[in-house]
Amino acid sequence: MSVLAFSLLALGVAFVLAITRAALGPTPFDRVLAVNTIGTLAVLAIAVYGFFDGRPEFLDIALLYALINFIGTIAILKYFRFGTLGDHPHSSKKDKSE
Amino acid sequence: MQDDIVIRVVAKVMIPAVMLFALYVQFHGDYGPGGGFQAGVIFASAFVLNAVVFGLNKGRHVWPARYNLMGICGGVLLYGFTGVAGMVLGKNFLNFNVLSSDPVAGQHLGILLVEFGVGLTVAAVMVMLFFTFAGRTAHLRLLSKSDAHERKVSASKTAKKVKK
Repeated sequence: MSVLAFSLLALGVAFVLAITRAALGPTPFDRVLAVNTIGTLAVLAIAVYGFFDGRPEFLDIALLYALINFIGTIAILKYFRFGTLGDHPHSSKKDKSE
Repeated sequence: MQDDIVIRVVAKVMIPAVMLFALYVQFHGDYGPGGGFQAGVIFASAFVLNAVVFGLNKGRHVWPARYNLMGICGGVLLYGFTGVAGMVLGKNFLNFNVLSSDPVAGQHLGILLVEFGVGLTVAAVMVMLFFTFAGRTAHLRLLSKSDAHERKVSASKTAKKVKK
């Protein structure tokens, strides 16, 4: 069994653990953290699978997944905190004072 | 969100990287994974990140509403005119072989222009969708507040009339 195949299996185990945390998570923030972890694991899995399959172009997709994962997490957290993706009352007040 | 210095600094570092990656996906799409649609979405996600972190007002300042129509129509027109150029030069619609003296170079040029049109349209549509949906809740809340105020005013008026 090659190193890459073994790392893919290890990533699968980590996926299961992260999904368990996302399903059990008592607070929404546990779930957000778990989903973020799943995204990071997906980045790693895509990169490892690219080399496993002999197609390193998969690195582009992994890079893109990392960028989108970050933006998605920020958006979800903002929605939890302020209840909207647009301008919330506090920020508009601050904009006016500036 | 403007108060969180970590998110602000990370976003400022990320936004140019996302845009550069979008251009890479756009113009390297012939050789690797990617193309116009994906590049447009990635390019729009940079503006979405900007609007999420720095607020919708500043996001609209960076991407004014008139860019939407310019981007959407400009992309479609670029696609269409690249296709019509083949007809003008005596071949079928979207035949790129005649765009240059060498058919292979013509194909390259045609694909590049068409994909750029697709990317432009998709980026503008994605930014427009996000701004529309993100700006909707504040608008609705404002409406419901004024509605409640009007209802209160009209209720007090009718109460006065009843008293009279």
